[in-house]
Formats: sequence, structure tokens, C-alpha cells
Amino acid sequence: PRATITVKLLKQESTGRPITLEGLFVRGSEGKAQGKLMQSHPLSLCNTSEDERQESIFISIVKLESPESKVPQCQPLLDKARLALQRGAQAVIFDISDDPSAAQELRDGSSLADPVVLVTSSDADELMGLVNKNEEAMVYIDIMIDSPTWPHYDV
Amino acid sequence: GNKQVSGVSSQGCQGGCQTCSVYNGCLTCKPKLFIHLERDGMRQIGVCLASCPNGFYGTRSPDRNDCIKCGSECDSCFNRNFCLRCRAGSYLHKGKCMESCPDGLVPSDTKKECV
Repeated sequence: PRATITVKLLKQESTGRPITLEGLFVRGSEGKAQGKLMQSHPLSLCNTSEDERQESIFISIVKLESPESKVPQCQPLLDKARLALQRGAQAVIFDISDDPSAAQELRDGSSLADPVVLVTSSDADELMGLVNKNEEAMVYIDIMIDSPTWPHYDV
Repeated sequence: GNKQVSGVSSQGCQGGCQTCSVYNGCLTCKPKLFIHLERDGMRQIGVCLASCPNGFYGTRSPDRNDCIKCGSECDSCFNRNFCLRCRAGSYLHKGKCMESCPDGLVPSDTKKECV
């Protein structure tokens, strides 16, 4: 199930053109969500880490690192997603560009209460680029409607 | 040498980092240092410190040393359950921050303690 991710920069909310990106829902977690884009460090979603309350309605984005980086896993990705949602995230976006195996680990999201989306390559770069420049942005997640393919008629 | 693996390296990292990346900052710290997750607007990056900042306490475990936030009313603590200094409006009594003091004690605004 594919997701559309529409991004509006807060400083140009009325004038600027939204950026439309694509992602993949973790199966079973499809749905709509919106909120301010906020980064969560992978280690912030361990059970030991503090419960960092946000004031605004937000969507968490987590850049997963390659296995070689030896970042302690601390808990399964599904539990990390669940923890982020419990802490108030309206949805979670995982950038799996450097950890493609995460898609396998996150193959069944039926137990998740809210949307969890995987992004890679240019879509991920766009989102993380905004985070890196601290460009505040509202993100709107929705289910992508595949345009129907019309059967070929011999006219 | 310091092999660059998909953006993760030990080269070009902030002082105490063992490994770091462009987006997440420090991922692992050099021995004995604590990893602290700093919020900077939208960003949340890891930094490695010899000791945790005010409002946090340090915990050590085999695979990493963390800075964990003190309780909500606490400015400085020994651990999650033992506060050393409370925030304004709360008074320290036996390691806890209280809005009012138990019988027989009175709040001291200067010390922020029940005395």
C-alpha cells in the first residue's frame, strides 16, 4: 500500500507549492495523518530514553542507520514505532535508505494504531534535507489511490 | 582508515563520538562518555558528553551510557527517583519535589526545600 506524503513549508504555507513525495505504508497501518515534521534520533525510541513531550501535533521521522554503524538496536522497530505513537506522534516515517532490512522487520503493522510509512532515496533525502536545515514543515500523509488502468478497446 | 559507510563514519565526528552520521549526529560514543539526545527545533541529534547536563542523570550499561531526563519538577537529580534540586514552585523533601510540605515543615523559597 503506497502513501502520498504532501509537505508544506510553514514559512510559505499560503504561497509556496507543496512538495509531493511517496512512501510505503507498513501493511496494516494505512491511514491519514498530519502534523509538524519532527526528527527522532534512533536512540530516543529505546525504553530507557526519556519521554520527550512535544507541544504541537507532530509526525516523527527517524533516520535508520546502516547496521555497520553499530547503533544499539535496544528494541525491535515495531516497538519503536509503537513507542513514538504512544508519545503523541500522529504517524511515524522511517527513512530506510541505509537500512533496507528494516522493511522486512516492519512487514506487519496490523497492531499499530496509526500510520507508519517507509521512505527511501530521493523522497527520504527531501524530508531529511528539510530536517537538517530546520525548515519547519507540515506533513500530510494519505493513502495513494492508484489510477485505474483502462483496458485497451479496439475502436 | 576511517571507512565511510553510507554516511556513517568516525571521521569528521564531534569530539567524543565513536560513530556519527550527517542526520543523527553521534550514534555511539567513545568509552565512558554519555550520549545525550539534544533537541534543536525539528532536529534531534546525539552528542557525547563526559557528564550529563542539568535536568538529566547518567546511566551506564554494557552497550551504551545514556543521559536520562530527571522527573518533571526536578532540575537536578541523582536518578529518576531521587531529586537534588527542584524547579521553582516545588520543594525538595527526601528526594522528592512537592508542591506543599508535610506537617511540621515549612517551604523555603530560597532553598526550594521543606525545612
